[in-house]
This record gives sequence, structure tokens and C-alpha cells, in this order.
Amino acid sequence: MGNNQAPPTSAKASGLKLGELGQEWAVPAGTRIVSQGESPDFFYVIQSGRLQVFRETKDHIRTPLTELGPGEYFGEVALVTGQPRTASVETLEESVLIKVSKEEFDRLLDHNPGLARSIINQLASWMVSGDTRLEQEVVHQVKLRQISWFDYLLMIGLSVVLGLVFNLYNDNKIPLIYGWGEKDDIPEISLSQAQKMSENNQAIFVDARKSAFFDQKHIKGAMNLPLILTDLMYPMFRFTLDQTPGAKDKTVIVYGGSFSRRFDLELARLFKSKGMDKVVVLNDYRGWDDILPLEEKPPKEGASISLGLNGLLEWIPLSIFLLILIPPIRRSPYLAIAGRLLLGVIFISFALSKILRPAVFALNTVDYGMMPAWGVNLWALALPWAELVVGLFLVLGIRTRAAATLIGAMNVVFIIGLVNAIFHHLPINCGCVGEVGEPVNWWKVLKNTGMLVMTAQIFFYDRLFVLDRGGFILRDRKI
Amino acid sequence: MNRYLLKLAAVLGLLLVFLALWGCGESRSRFAGTYRSEKTVDGKNYVDLDLRDDGKGTWTLEGKSVEFTWMVNEGKVWLYLKSGGIIIGTPSEGGKKLALDMSADWHPGCPANLCVSFKRSAEGG
Repeated sequence: MGNNQAPPTSAKASGLKLGELGQEWAVPAGTRIVSQGESPDFFYVIQSGRLQVFRETKDHIRTPLTELGPGEYFGEVALVTGQPRTASVETLEESVLIKVSKEEFDRLLDHNPGLARSIINQLASWMVSGDTRLEQEVVHQVKLRQISWFDYLLMIGLSVVLGLVFNLYNDNKIPLIYGWGEKDDIPEISLSQAQKMSENNQAIFVDARKSAFFDQKHIKGAMNLPLILTDLMYPMFRFTLDQTPGAKDKTVIVYGGSFSRRFDLELARLFKSKGMDKVVVLNDYRGWDDILPLEEKPPKEGASISLGLNGLLEWIPLSIFLLILIPPIRRSPYLAIAGRLLLGVIFISFALSKILRPAVFALNTVDYGMMPAWGVNLWALALPWAELVVGLFLVLGIRTRAAATLIGAMNVVFIIGLVNAIFHHLPINCGCVGEVGEPVNWWKVLKNTGMLVMTAQIFFYDRLFVLDRGGFILRDRKI
Repeated sequence: MNRYLLKLAAVLGLLLVFLALWGCGESRSRFAGTYRSEKTVDGKNYVDLDLRDDGKGTWTLEGKSVEFTWMVNEGKVWLYLKSGGIIIGTPSEGGKKLALDMSADWHPGCPANLCVSFKRSAEGG
């Protein structure tokens, strides 16, 4: 058949007397002349009209190969090789063909060395161009499977830069490092000193943590003033404090700091700034629950608020997780596309729920008790942008293997944080999709595990609809 | 390289569209207005709450005001404090009353010991 890369020798150019061979056949547009895989019976020469040559897979993925016009011919490959048709041909418009039987075609070749030579030349040129195409395709697939440090640097760098720049112009901006440059002028006392003051009724304990932590466990008789609500609740707290007998003579011991020392130090500084002189913090933020008398309640899971579409999306990875157990589906590039779109949309929605108000996410991060003070705000600024960037890269098909790896790494971190919170009965909000009312439980762990498995599937089997160095690969691309 | 920059620009453009769309929440106008706490909160003073239509608001007690932002989400009023705290308010009686959950968390009913109820004194803001 004719080829658009190597112009075919036309039947006319071969000196064929077409009128002496075959039958003229007028064909309407959209008629399939030969079908891929069928036994060859005829050779065709085009008198007028246009036809498309294409290959088609069992699941009807069509790859157009070329278009043929007047003077060109097709159907000779199968007749020469004796093999089934290698491609299908369909009329694009009303066409007139000369239909030549196999016997006539053989006779034609026997008596027409020029035509025979041109067919051999054409077959040879197809082999060469086929090798070139194969090489291009292999190189492209190799590139798709490549990941480089640059990919990670690009995504992480982009996230950090976007996070920092956005923070500059955000109405809800936060400092890059919490408490940086603040004077540590709050006196500290040891746990044994605190214990002695408690026994001698010389101290008032103030718990600076959120009320959920306070409700679960606090020093007996302590008051709760969550740092995050101090601006609003200080007058109420002061009123209650003033009503407490002997409060003026007692030392206020602020406790309830976490690994990040976020709450106790800051609340003590606020008390000082409001004229309270006898304020101290504990020098060991962890040990108070071992030494001092406590009031405790059994841990209970927080109530959940509707998370809307985001909450529903989170469940889908679990069902896909089950699909992955089926081996043929596990390796499907179409599953990888579905996974990419789903994970991309989920991570974009995760990001958008946090990006505008980094202070809320920073507090949720502090509650996990796993991040040092200097890292909390940086994490709160960069992570939502990282979720957004890798989510978009997955959806658009840019550096998908690296993006999947980063999402997988984030899921590992989330799973570790969630499991730690569950084992320590932390009464915290997940901070994953919703800002409040999103309890931490094993379902959350399972959802994150589902997403982790999806990232592995994408890493190994994603290769379609990829916008990458090689350009956008369409399923029905031209070869 | 230029094509790569174009791709990056496309990603950033999409990102800005997402952000712009995400910023649009439910209309605030039905809850905008001024509110006063039904009881004194420190034995002698009431809290005045001003929810303005532009998404900003103030909590005033003893003549001192604290600024915050607010939005409406699924029929509830969310107050966002500078500190990162969130207070969820549940309107009732057609928006005439507002119960603020001062636990800075979500509870289906406002917890009795941490609930401050407000009555609307004027609409708009």
C-alpha cells in the first residue's frame, strides 16, 4: 500500500494498463474495503476518492497509519506475503477503485518487473522506518519510566517557593518560624518544685492546651485557657481567676506544652504582658502527668462533621485498592490513569482545604506532637502547596512517577502520624481534609493505605496520556 | 525549554483558577449583623459580636476588640482567629440566635460549659 513517508510508485508510473485488469468498483464513503486479519483476495488501485489505512486493537483503539488518494494502491502486502491483512482500509469519501484478483495480481508481477521492484523497495523502506519508529517508542517509554533528582527538586522547590510567596500576600499569613526571636524570659520550675507548691496550696495550674486535651487529662484543679482562644477568653479567665480565693498570692504555673512548646511558653508570655507577675512554666513539658495528681476521663472519638465531596472522594481509593488485588487489572495502564486522576483530585482538594489558612493547619500539626517548634510553620506553609503541585502534575501527566513517589511519601508520613495519634489516644482533628470535626481513626489509616497502594500502581504501570518531555501521548496517536 | 516553561505556566494558571474558585463560599449576608451575648461572660460585661458582609468581624469585650474572619459553611458560621483557632457557631430561630462552641472544635451540640449564646441586635454589617 502507499505510504506517506515514502511516496509509492503509482500504478500509472509502472506502466500498467489498468483497463486490461480487474473490475471498476464505485464505493460510498465510510465503506470498509479490507479488514485487518482477514485472508487476502484482492489488490486495489485507487482511481478517485480518499481512503484511510489504520490498525485497530481488539478493544477498538484505532491507530491511523496513512491516507491514500488517486493513483495509489493497497492490499499488495498480504498478497505478496500470503499472510492475513496487516491493516484495515476504509473510504473517507465516495471513491472508485480497480479491484484486481490474486491471480491477476500474480500475473501482473510476473510480467511487470518494474512494479515488482517498486513493491520490494516500498516493503524495505517500511522495515527501515518501522525500526526507527520502534526505537523512538522505546526511547519514549524509557523516558516515561525515568525519574531524576531534578523532578523531586522541581516539585519540592516549586511548593516551597509558592508557599512562601503566597504567605507574603495572604491575609492569614503566619511567621516562618513560630516564636523566632522572642525572649525566653519566663522563669521555669522543676516538676518537684511544682509538686511541692501544689501540696502547699501555693500554685494555680493553667492548662494552655485545647479543651479536648484538657478534658481527657489535666492536673487536678487546673483551669483551662486554650492559647488559641486567649484573645477572646482572657477576660472570662481573669474573672474566674479573681474569684478564686487567695489567687493574688499564688504562683500561676502554665503547663501543657507539647514537643513544639507552642502553648505553655506563649500563654505565659501573654500573662506577663497583661501584668501578671508570678507566672512560671514547667521545665519538663512531659512529666506532669507522672508526678502531679490528675483528673482524667476515658478517651473518646470526636464527632465528625460532613466533609462534603472531599469526604466521599477519600473512600474511592479503598475500592480501587480491592481492584488492584486482581492481577490483570493491577497492571493496567488505564487503572493508572484512573488512579492518577483520582489521587490528583483528592490531593488538590486536600491542599485547597488548608492553603488559605496555614495557621489552622499549623495547629493541627502541633497536635500530633511529632514536629519541633521550628518546623511546624514551614511544614504548614509548604505541605499544602506540595499537595497541590503534585496533584496537578498527576492530573496533567507531568513527571508522574516522581509525583506518585512524593504522594506515596506523604501518605507514609500521614500513616505514621495517624497510627501514633491512635495509639496515644490523642483527641485531635486529623487536619487531612477538614479543618475541624475530622476524627483520627483506623478508617483514616486504611484510606491513606489505599492511596499509598495507588501510588505504587501509578509508579509501575502509568504510561498513557502523559504530558512529559516526549510530548502529550494520545491513545490514537499517528505513527 | 520554552515548551517546558509553557507547561509550568499552564500548571500555575490552573492553580490560580482553583484558588480563585475555592475562595468563593456560601453567601454571608443572611448571618451578617451585630449580636450580643445573652449573658455576661465575666460577671459584668456582655460580648458584642459584629459579623460584617465582607467576611471580617470583631469580638468586643470590655471595650477591647479582637479581629477575625468568618464564613458560612453548610449553614454554620465559622469564625477564624489569627491564632489558627476556629469557633463554629450554630444559628437558630432563623438566624436570630447564634451559639458559639468555644471548645475550638466541632461538637454536634454546643457543649454546655463552653457555649456562648448570642442574640442578634441588628442585621447587615
